[in-house]
Amino acid sequence: MGGFLLRKAGAALVVVFLSSVLVFVGVRALPGDPAIALAGENHDPAVLAAVRQEYGLDKPLPVQYVKWVWRALHGNLGLDDRQLPVAHTIVSRIPISLELALLSVLVGMVIGITAGVIAAVRRGKPSDHAATTLALVGLSVPHFWLGLLAIIVFAVDLHWLPSGGYVSFGSDPIGNLEHMVMPALVLGTGLSAVLMRQMRSSMLTSLGADYVRTARAKGLSERSVVGKHAFRNSLITVTTVVGLQLGQLISGVVITEVIFVIPGFGRLTIDAITARDYTLIQGVVLVTATGYVVVNLLVDVVYSLLNPRIRVS
Amino acid sequence: MTGSLRRGTLFVLALAMLGALAVAAVAGAHGTASSSQLKEGGTLTIGLAEEPDALDPTLARTFVGRMVFLSMCEKLYDLDSHLNIVPQLAAALPTVSKDKLTYTIKLRPGIKFNDGTPFNAAAVQESIQRDLTLKGSVRASEISPIKSVSTQGQNAVVLHLSSPYSPLLAQLADRAGMVMSPKALAAEGTNFAQNPVCVGPFMFKDRVAGDHITLVKSPYYYDKSKVHLASIVYKIMTDPSSRTQALRAGDIQVEDRIQATDVPTLQKDSGVSLIKSVTIGYQGLTLNIGNKNGVLKGYSTLGTPIAKSQQIREAFDDALDRTTINKVVFGGLNQPDCFPIAQSSSWYAAATKGIPCNLHADDAAATKLIKASGLPTPITVHLLLGGTDPVNARLGQVIQAMEKQVGINVVISATDFTTSLNTATNGQFDTYAVGWSGRVDPDGNIYGFNATSGTLNYSGYSNNKIDYILNGARKSLTTKSRDTLYNAALKILIADRPIIYLYHPVYYFGVSKNVTGVQVYGDGLIRASFAAYTK
Repeated sequence: MGGFLLRKAGAALVVVFLSSVLVFVGVRALPGDPAIALAGENHDPAVLAAVRQEYGLDKPLPVQYVKWVWRALHGNLGLDDRQLPVAHTIVSRIPISLELALLSVLVGMVIGITAGVIAAVRRGKPSDHAATTLALVGLSVPHFWLGLLAIIVFAVDLHWLPSGGYVSFGSDPIGNLEHMVMPALVLGTGLSAVLMRQMRSSMLTSLGADYVRTARAKGLSERSVVGKHAFRNSLITVTTVVGLQLGQLISGVVITEVIFVIPGFGRLTIDAITARDYTLIQGVVLVTATGYVVVNLLVDVVYSLLNPRIRVS
Repeated sequence: MTGSLRRGTLFVLALAMLGALAVAAVAGAHGTASSSQLKEGGTLTIGLAEEPDALDPTLARTFVGRMVFLSMCEKLYDLDSHLNIVPQLAAALPTVSKDKLTYTIKLRPGIKFNDGTPFNAAAVQESIQRDLTLKGSVRASEISPIKSVSTQGQNAVVLHLSSPYSPLLAQLADRAGMVMSPKALAAEGTNFAQNPVCVGPFMFKDRVAGDHITLVKSPYYYDKSKVHLASIVYKIMTDPSSRTQALRAGDIQVEDRIQATDVPTLQKDSGVSLIKSVTIGYQGLTLNIGNKNGVLKGYSTLGTPIAKSQQIREAFDDALDRTTINKVVFGGLNQPDCFPIAQSSSWYAAATKGIPCNLHADDAAATKLIKASGLPTPITVHLLLGGTDPVNARLGQVIQAMEKQVGINVVISATDFTTSLNTATNGQFDTYAVGWSGRVDPDGNIYGFNATSGTLNYSGYSNNKIDYILNGARKSLTTKSRDTLYNAALKILIADRPIIYLYHPVYYFGVSKNVTGVQVYGDGLIRASFAAYTK
């Protein structure tokens, strides 16, 4: 077991190192001189030279890389264009995006699974057609359009919800939920459409299976047949689909955060790239890459604990 | 006071007062409620179109950052609604020596920084010296003629210049004139931006990167009675549609620079009023005449038709219908023009006197010029757009359609703004659609783009006569001589066309109807320090 963990940890370190090189080189491959972007309207050569010196852009690439990595290992990801610590900014943004993603998954699952069950149980009936049509709309409509529409209806016209922004749960739980309802609904819509179709399909398969026929033959109520037997078995496939959809959800988080002005990690990434804020881009991408590697490592460890054959092989 | 000093004082007074004569269209203000109708307290939320960079006057580079500074960092001088330079922390306009090398600035007494420490000559001296010497200072080049700063007691500073420099006062009415608390500078050093302290109606409270900046009412401000709000929150809202919806929903009370397509919607919204600001900036087409190797790296022609031939450049200009461009691309919202100086500026009339400006296309003249050039048509010209948004796309397409009428084939390439700046700096373009946010002093709109040593001279234009005239205008302190010089310069520049000026941007700002006292002058900056909610 120890050897297995060491091998996995070693591989993870190599991946993180390669990611750091890739992000370092990749950021510098972006078109446009960052000094010009950072200098704003003032292109005085002295100012550009000072900007390059301030951000270490005048040093050879290997020197820049080593300095950056050394500081990063000590938790110092440098200062961004606003002269604010990058590490602090990133750490404060991640929970916000996580909250949005989790709420969206929750919304997607509740709506999608419920609609899928109803559609399957009432197959061929108007409610089935309605649910299927809504799923198609949910899959087709882009997030940004739906978001703006939701803002116009619920914030501008009805004044039911704020148009955007964020309030932390700790400081104001009700305010937090008020601000997150629309973004979570918008983002969860796409996921709910996929889950609805998957759930419907799984339920139909389950409802046609022998064990369900047997359960009915035994005299169990339809509620029990659907709820206890068919539904539970259908959830396995749906859960797998949720995992597969997470990647798309994360890209949706970025767009949603921009539309709803949520200070999340996704919006931070976009702003950093647009502003050519090298320090911030590097920090964001490195944290993202490291996060993926750590999560994968944990999954491998848990998997190996659950399945000894994995450790041996 | 000696005779020469009195004359010097009169020159400066005349310069400053005539320097930006009253023009009605420049300033926009929202609401003029009487004090009894004003509520005390409340938070005003302003949705900004971009995020300010460092909140450090020495290092700050962004246009939008100046809006935040207006509320928390007063300057030696400021602009009034007619763009006249007026004293703010200074007690009066400076006294200038006869040789124009010494500026004596008297300061207002009894003022405190927002940390309670006294504002005095030593503080001003320290701020200006920091601007001149701090590594990475963006202000140094703006006030480079200042060679030293001394004090005269507690309430006067003396600036010693290496050469006369007439735009100096305008620079002291911007970030170079902001005075930072010495105590805060000592405590924060180069991290001043994380906790800035100046003199201002509001003081810095906190900042969440990419989200908001919060200022709270200062208990130290010398004119507290004029401040009604408890706090101002600058919210970063880069998506223009989200910003407009937030204003309509009441989540923000002031919207920065409404996009053109949202203006008609907001005009019909009964809960919102609009402030129109005809800016002192311009938008135009920079033509690459001599920038082959990069800005300031020795100019040489690219050899393209546009670069080699003044006739072709004139034809290109003649084919453009500025009125139609404004109507089709911007819904008629901007101000078409042929000059870099805004029509609202007091410099405009004299500087443009006798120089024709045809806002409509003259296809016959353009075609004639192209025929006379002997070049086979169509002549291919590449147009670089500094943005991939629909507005830029429309601008490119309209220009392309207009030039096609006269035998010029415009090939459009669009890229993001930062990349386009880089491309232009390296001289890798034929024509480039770009603008400038504008400065009160005409030097700020002309020198950097047209002088051989101009750091923004993407065109690579180099003309000894223009250099001589523009340098002379910098050294001259009388309005009359500067008027003459800028008129002479513009006659040459409009003929040579390193830049074809198209229009002056007109910005629209939205304000909730329950808020009064928000102002926007021709510099396009939101002024909300003395705003208030109405009862």
